[in-house]
Amino acid sequence: MLLIPRRTRKIVTLICFVSSALIAQSPSAIRGLRAARNGAIRGRVDLRKVPTPSEPRPNVADLGAAVRALDISDRLRSVVYLESAPRGAFETVEPTHAVMDQRGERFVPHILAITTGTTVDFPNSDHIYHNVFSLSKTKRFDLGRYAAGHSVPVRFDRPGIVRVFCDIHSHMNAFILVFSHPFFSLTDNDGRFRIDNIPPGVYNVIAWNEGVQSEPRAVTIPDGGIAEEDFVLR
Amino acid sequence: MTSGLRRAALLAAVALGGGTLPAGAQVLPSEPIALAGGHVTVSGDVTAAIGSDDTGFFNYTDYEHSALKLFRVDLSTSVTLNSHFTLLGEIRDENIDTLRAYAFYVRIRPWIDRGIDIQAGRVPPTFGAFARRVYATDNPLVGYPLAYQYLTSLRPDALPWSADELLRMRGRGWLSNFSIGNQEPENGVAVATAFRWDTGIQLHAASDKVDGTVAVTTGTLSNPRITDDNSAPQVAARVSARPIPGLVLGVSASRGPFVSSTAARGAVGDGHDRDFTQTAWGGDIEYSRGYYVLRAETIWSEWKLPALGAPVIDTPLQALSTYVEGRYKLRPGLYVAGRVDHLGFNDIVGSAGPQSWDAPVTRVEVGAGYSLLRNLLLKISVQRNTRDGGRVPSATLAAVQAVYWF
Repeated sequence: MLLIPRRTRKIVTLICFVSSALIAQSPSAIRGLRAARNGAIRGRVDLRKVPTPSEPRPNVADLGAAVRALDISDRLRSVVYLESAPRGAFETVEPTHAVMDQRGERFVPHILAITTGTTVDFPNSDHIYHNVFSLSKTKRFDLGRYAAGHSVPVRFDRPGIVRVFCDIHSHMNAFILVFSHPFFSLTDNDGRFRIDNIPPGVYNVIAWNEGVQSEPRAVTIPDGGIAEEDFVLR
Repeated sequence: MTSGLRRAALLAAVALGGGTLPAGAQVLPSEPIALAGGHVTVSGDVTAAIGSDDTGFFNYTDYEHSALKLFRVDLSTSVTLNSHFTLLGEIRDENIDTLRAYAFYVRIRPWIDRGIDIQAGRVPPTFGAFARRVYATDNPLVGYPLAYQYLTSLRPDALPWSADELLRMRGRGWLSNFSIGNQEPENGVAVATAFRWDTGIQLHAASDKVDGTVAVTTGTLSNPRITDDNSAPQVAARVSARPIPGLVLGVSASRGPFVSSTAARGAVGDGHDRDFTQTAWGGDIEYSRGYYVLRAETIWSEWKLPALGAPVIDTPLQALSTYVEGRYKLRPGLYVAGRVDHLGFNDIVGSAGPQSWDAPVTRVEVGAGYSLLRNLLLKISVQRNTRDGGRVPSATLAAVQAVYWF
């Protein structure tokens, strides 16, 4: 897989920051937020090319090989989010817990979308050592090597993309998308998503999957209604 | 710096995306390239090291290449033909010189659900632990352990006539010459070379806790070969155990004729090349937990050479090497590491009395590594080498190395 283009990284990081200042709605719209009923957006992300799981490096120096079954199901999932968030969105973000497991020499889930302040546990469910580390600017951490049954928590306080790796198994990698607002959704394996409780207004919506993302698309959320929007990636 | 090294350093900078490369450098792959639906996987390592002038040849891997001044490109490929057959290969280039096939073999897994593999071709070393480590990422320092790199004065294609002739080459393994066999000066061999792989067939069986490997190959531990240069193969075996997570214990053994048929014939006539063997035993341990990794490995090796002129070499030549190595991560992307290493030799009796047949050498190396990216690592290390013999008895050397891999 190629590195995520700098532009993409900037944009995704931006989205999250944006939100804090953003709220670029007109005064009348803001007044309307208080009285209007929240709406939702739903749709589907169509992945024209499913990213394949990272292959292990050719184990030329190994005396033998373990047979590893590839599972692409968690590569079908994308993240859809509002580039801009309504005023007050940041006051409603409540820190929570999430889990990214290490199982079968994979991070499960492969993509995790969380809000700032969330603590993520990284349990090791394999019978071998794993390590979890990230050199991302959003969050640099290294949990060292630890055995099955152990879990180490990490709190994510800054919005942005965090790429996660294992320094023992180079084919293990995952993404954590940290948002400073709650208006995002992880699609199911069919690409379907739904973001609820969005105050009516016009928002830029973006779909993202493993380093590629759509152009921001302006979507009108009706008063108490549901907007439909589909995306095609790759 | 020679023009070749300057060119190598420049190419390294370009390959690593340094210098004034535009944003396009960001598209360098960060993970193996998968082709044909994942049936073909290609990965690579690029290492560029620049270090002190090593006038004592402590870090030379042959007469021309020093591990501290090396630009190396490795490309590894696996081609999965089906669930039973995989072709694996690695080509390597050092200092933009000759491209060599470092590994090329077929891996056969007769039963999918059993951890048994048969490998045939130019196969990974059975013996020991270090030689199978991916140098770029698994060696925390720039230098190698002495047993796997340091050149003793012994040569498979040339033999000393007497103990005195052998003793004259103490500390001169980088370019030794003897009067029997090939009389041209050439570099000697390491106890167990990490720079060439042997050719043959290998059987590996693994369970959750224990691995076992046995191999029959053309060369020996010191002198891996593509084609045999004497009339018998080497047999090597290794057993390793993982009693608890993070702990690996291994023992290895190997035995095979070391001296080439030509050299043996020059010394004692036809039909004796099987007599002059290299026998080695090894033990290794690795323990890792949290932010540290500790490793230790010891190798004992014995070479039998013909007893010819007086004063005769009346005892097998032995070498014992032990290193202890550690790495500790200080913070994400930053580690410190160190290795203490000694290679010693037994005494033989020359005209001037008993003396070790080669000069014992000790190396202490410390260093650090910093990951600029997940797959772009900078290492720096300083080593102190001391040797009881040779033209340069001691040297303090420094090196920096950039490692890029995908």
